[in-house]
Amino acid sequence: MRDPISSSNGADGRVSPIEALSEASRAYGAIDVRSAHPRWGMAVDLERCVGCWSCAVICKSENAVPLGLWWNRILTAGDDLDTPATDEHGDPHLHWVPLACQHCDDAPCEKVCPTSATYINAEGLVLVNQDDCIGCRYCMAACPYGVRVFNWGEAEYPVPEGTGMVATRPVGSVEKCTMCVHRLAEDQVPSCVWSCPAQARIFGDLEAPESRLVQMLESRNPEVLLEEKGTRPKVSYLQPRRRRPIERSES
Amino acid sequence: MSPPRAWTVWISVLGVGLLIGLASFVYQVSNGLGVTGLSNTVTWGLYIVSFMFLVGISAGGLIVVAGAELAGSQRFEHLNRLAVVCSLAAVATAAGSILPDLGRPQRAWKMLAQPHLTSPLVWDMVVLAIYLAIGAIDLYILTRVPVSRKALRVMAIVSLPVAILVHSVTAWIFGLLVARPFWNTPLLAPLFISSALVSGTALVVATAWVVERVTPWRAGAEAMVGLRRLLLWFVSADVFLLFTEVMTTFVSGEPDHREQLDVLLTGRLAPVFWFEIMIGVLLPVVLLLLPSTRKRSGMLMAAAVLLILGVFAKRINILFAAEFEPLVGLSPGIPGGRPGQLFRPDEVYIPSWVELGILTGMAAFFFAIVTLGVQRAVLLRHDEPAAGH
Repeated sequence: MRDPISSSNGADGRVSPIEALSEASRAYGAIDVRSAHPRWGMAVDLERCVGCWSCAVICKSENAVPLGLWWNRILTAGDDLDTPATDEHGDPHLHWVPLACQHCDDAPCEKVCPTSATYINAEGLVLVNQDDCIGCRYCMAACPYGVRVFNWGEAEYPVPEGTGMVATRPVGSVEKCTMCVHRLAEDQVPSCVWSCPAQARIFGDLEAPESRLVQMLESRNPEVLLEEKGTRPKVSYLQPRRRRPIERSES
Repeated sequence: MSPPRAWTVWISVLGVGLLIGLASFVYQVSNGLGVTGLSNTVTWGLYIVSFMFLVGISAGGLIVVAGAELAGSQRFEHLNRLAVVCSLAAVATAAGSILPDLGRPQRAWKMLAQPHLTSPLVWDMVVLAIYLAIGAIDLYILTRVPVSRKALRVMAIVSLPVAILVHSVTAWIFGLLVARPFWNTPLLAPLFISSALVSGTALVVATAWVVERVTPWRAGAEAMVGLRRLLLWFVSADVFLLFTEVMTTFVSGEPDHREQLDVLLTGRLAPVFWFEIMIGVLLPVVLLLLPSTRKRSGMLMAAAVLLILGVFAKRINILFAAEFEPLVGLSPGIPGGRPGQLFRPDEVYIPSWVELGILTGMAAFFFAIVTLGVQRAVLLRHDEPAAGH
């Protein structure tokens, strides 16, 4: 009821692309299991991530994220995007951290919001009610992950009519990943999940023991970012299980 | 009798300053905060620096009125009204400086309509409102003839804990955030209190010095000597707290905390940090200790101005040390925020002309209130015969 983004979906007369999907495509993007009271979570399999930025780009398109802002981006260990870190032998060590809102159970951004514009919905998602956001950016100071972005000026898009399937956000407000709450309403996984060419993202209901997400989390030693900060994120990272030894010609 | 020329000039300067501020604010509201130097990495800038600074500098009125009253000292009696006027001007301007920081100032009323009680920003709004009311009541009591000692005493007892809360809650806006190790220290509230005492007392000294030179009002040599001693105590406490914070972090701090401290010690903010220590603390302390300062109020004035600059630098350092080094700092960094800006791993923040314009307006607003207050509440007719004693 308080999900402004899902409720405003379609208000501008756009047809959800989900409607246009074939039966098979819908089945591919369907949420596997949903308990009576779902609590949505995600796992990112770092063994599979190839750092291609597909999820980051489709997120911008799906959610009408203006030029200059990103809800989802791929961090790289190393000095720069094209200068990866090196391992103990001096060989390139490619390692990516796809980063978006961690949808914390104990979300620091939610606690500090002076107007309750940032809130946690019944399904555990951290969302922003744009009507109530006064643009104080306290949530941005409070978020340890740096995943919130601010609308500094009139939004610009790569195409004049915009790209998104959700309502755009006003100048002077804060926005961030919604876990594609408008897609969840149609029983579809977030767009970063179905678009990942390496299938590195697993989305699901943390309350459903039979979901693929819960089973992955149980079998793969999940880690959360900045665990010591006590934010209890619902996004986990699965570390690579084995490191292929790099064949070294000399020695 | 036409007003003296200097007065006309002063009023015009204030008027121009207010106009510059207003024009900048209108420009910012119609174009969005993109006209500032802020970004998604450095989301808080000069407006928040001046907010912290102004809340702190408001401490003077309470020390001089409530502190002296509770200590049973009468030596600052003649400074009472001036000190309260300074406090009121600072608190009012501080509250005002939040407005330009909002992305949607037209919705600021939502903070009152639907306050979220876990937010320190809401707590601060409440204590600042109480603080402003206390200052107004204090001024009312002090401008009655004769001044009711009993009322003053009651107000002193009420206002001291509120003053401590005001500076603590302002510190907790920053200090309670796990995301910013440099702010997330229990010492932040005590540090805010000590810096408030330094800058608040220094403001009373500087204002008294100026008012003594342009009006028949006199603070009295005894009061000024007393303030000099207070300044020395306060700045010692402030430096001690800063030193123990820096030392603990330097020797044994968590890596994240240490990294943000290094921004000050050797990093991008090192010039501001070492300015704070050398010019904002050590130099004024030397000036205050010079025997001639007891006699020459010009030296006292110089020390007070330097201390105020030092505390302003300290606010800059506290704010940006944490913002320049985000916890998740992996490449390519946080999105810049404007079209054409991709990511900003090494964010620099340079305030824009709009921010400086709004700051000019706030300074003019502050001095206008002080001027009005001095005219209406400090230079009372019944007081004039006593002036100069």
